[in-house]
Amino acid sequence: MSAASPPLAEGDVSAPARQAKARPRSRPLFGGRPGLAQWILLTPAQLLLVSLILLPAIWVGWLSLHAVSFTAEMRFVGLGNFRTLIDDPVFWRAVWNTFLVVNAVVYGELLLGLGLALLAAGWMPFRTLFVALLIAPYAINEVSAVAMWRFVLEPDIGMVSWALEAVGLGQLDWSANPTDALVLASLLSIWIHTPFTFLILYAALQAVPRELIEAATVDGAGGWRVFIHVQLPVILPALLVALMFRYITAMRVFSEIWLLTEGGPARLTEVLAVYLYRAAFRYHEFGLASATGLVMMLLSLSIAAPYLYTAWKRMFARA
Amino acid sequence: MGEEITNMQITRRALLGSASATMLAAPALAQGRRFVIMSHAVHQRAVTGAAGGDSSAAWKQQAGVETEWLTFGVEAVHERVYREAALSQGGVDVAFLLDRYTGPHVAPLFEDLRPFMEAEPLETADEIAATMYGSHNFRGKQTGIPYRHATHGFFYNKALLRERGVEVPTTFAEIIAAADRLTHARADGTRVAGFANSMDDPSGTMDLIRAHGGDFITQDYRFVGDAEPAVRAVALLRDWFRRGVLPRNVMTFKTEEVITAMQQGRAAMTTQPFGRFINYNDARQSRFAGEIAVAPIPMAGSTDLAPAKTSVWAMAIPRNARDKRLSWSFIREVSSRASTIRAAVNGNGPVRSSAYDDPKVREMAPFLAIEQRVLPHARLTVPGFEQAGRSMDIFMEEVQRAMLGQAEPLAAMRSARSRIEPLLPA
Repeated sequence: MSAASPPLAEGDVSAPARQAKARPRSRPLFGGRPGLAQWILLTPAQLLLVSLILLPAIWVGWLSLHAVSFTAEMRFVGLGNFRTLIDDPVFWRAVWNTFLVVNAVVYGELLLGLGLALLAAGWMPFRTLFVALLIAPYAINEVSAVAMWRFVLEPDIGMVSWALEAVGLGQLDWSANPTDALVLASLLSIWIHTPFTFLILYAALQAVPRELIEAATVDGAGGWRVFIHVQLPVILPALLVALMFRYITAMRVFSEIWLLTEGGPARLTEVLAVYLYRAAFRYHEFGLASATGLVMMLLSLSIAAPYLYTAWKRMFARA
Repeated sequence: MGEEITNMQITRRALLGSASATMLAAPALAQGRRFVIMSHAVHQRAVTGAAGGDSSAAWKQQAGVETEWLTFGVEAVHERVYREAALSQGGVDVAFLLDRYTGPHVAPLFEDLRPFMEAEPLETADEIAATMYGSHNFRGKQTGIPYRHATHGFFYNKALLRERGVEVPTTFAEIIAAADRLTHARADGTRVAGFANSMDDPSGTMDLIRAHGGDFITQDYRFVGDAEPAVRAVALLRDWFRRGVLPRNVMTFKTEEVITAMQQGRAAMTTQPFGRFINYNDARQSRFAGEIAVAPIPMAGSTDLAPAKTSVWAMAIPRNARDKRLSWSFIREVSSRASTIRAAVNGNGPVRSSAYDDPKVREMAPFLAIEQRVLPHARLTVPGFEQAGRSMDIFMEEVQRAMLGQAEPLAAMRSARSRIEPLLPA
């Protein structure tokens, strides 16, 4: 509004305001409470979500309350399957191993991905080649990647094992030592999935306004202070999304463990997804497997809940 | 509520059944009837292999069908067969099942074959041992006709024995002594383990236990894994593992790893199915072709034959198969004497004694004469029952705990007893 505009007297209504008053206010396409058009547009996606995710999840929840096998009729057992889980020390070991691996993998990836993203976002020759090399592991099939690493780390014939031993570092005794096996599985998972975290953070760093960084530098801020006070606040939402996504997907860690040790020796390296696999496909106890799946889903949901709550609040803040 | 659940099941199963039947039938409209066989790849090779010939060729022409083999790994075959057989309509005509993955709990999914046998008998049916029929007979119901057995023998690398100046062992006590002497590093740097054992199921471990006079679960479902002979065998495994007589990564050893280690000379001795003789002595696969010999597994204190582990694959007809008479005619054809001989030449463990006497079979598979001697003494790993898979896993878990030193062998086996006994049939 220009300073030359005359002040409005009481009762005086400008032309645009009059037009707005004359027409019923149409709903904005984005923001506000969704109208019929939005519901129609959303329906296909919602139907897909309901049919592919919600209904199977409800079915799994229903199965978890039953004893189910190939031959016998489904029998209601209430919380019996959950009691079996609680009483089974192997299940608790799987929970603990999952906790350890997931946290090692997620935070390992986050630190590595962030470091690499900062490196790539700064001055760097052959940046495109560097980024392409960094994301290459993500293009490799997970099964192939684990098989390849397993082969080069075989204690007797693996090239990497020989090299480690030759330089006096000893071997990673992953076939017999549960700790070494879990460490290796975590390293493999980090190697495979870091490109995901890297890409998200690298893209977020590109969005940091260059003027802000320059201004901070002119004001005498060093690299660390620029990162803490300028870059980090901007990339924080992306960082949280990467963290949450990787937490949820890492919770399902399976192939790294299964292809390395199948949960052995003595089921000491078993994680929840391997426990579920055994229950379903080896013992054919689908109720128990469903209960395990439900526990995994609840764990994932508990991690995602704060983010979903914030997103929900933000979505309806303008409603 | 219960009725609602049943209705939901029927609807779902009917839907899945119709869908799979439609998918399976669609191409058949263009090509004529397809006959679907679900099995491990080894069965397809045994039935249709080039060396002995295709046992199903004439039958296919006569029946006017095309066979389709759907092959999977051992565990996956059973999971898929059971899933398919549980539907109201199925697309599988014949399934191959392994004794320890079956049991009375899945018997209702398959036809009782006795009426078929009475109506159209197998050729000289009594030539197949009663114990083999028994491995797929649950509460009187015959769910499978034996097709293949995998019986273990004692394999040793003659070249490595010569290299270390070791005589061929004739008792299991001598095998133990030989394993020590054969554990060494060769001049080319290859580390040789005296003995290799697969750890993903108890079959190899059972050979050691039975050579010591012990067992795991008896045919009348008693747990005896904590008796003195079994505990001694577990203690031997622990000792071997600690001293490097077993390969360093033995905990991850499955059958495939044992085969590779033997072929590459990284292991000097093992127990495996006799049929592996061909893989071990095939110059395209093995660095020691012609040097790996097989003998019966002896008892620890004598040269008597130990009850070697055996397993029996049998052909079954899913209860929802489309044309059960056609399925039965296939089973009759491939289990005939001529087909059994052809399959034996293709590397199959023959279930008919006459196959062992066939000159062509003896020429192609010289180890069969030894296998024929072992067969009457052989025993299944465990009898089939609903929780067999879980019981075997628990047993191996406890064996591995003992090997890692997390429990004394006796304590581990007692722990196995406390966990397995509640799973055994009453």
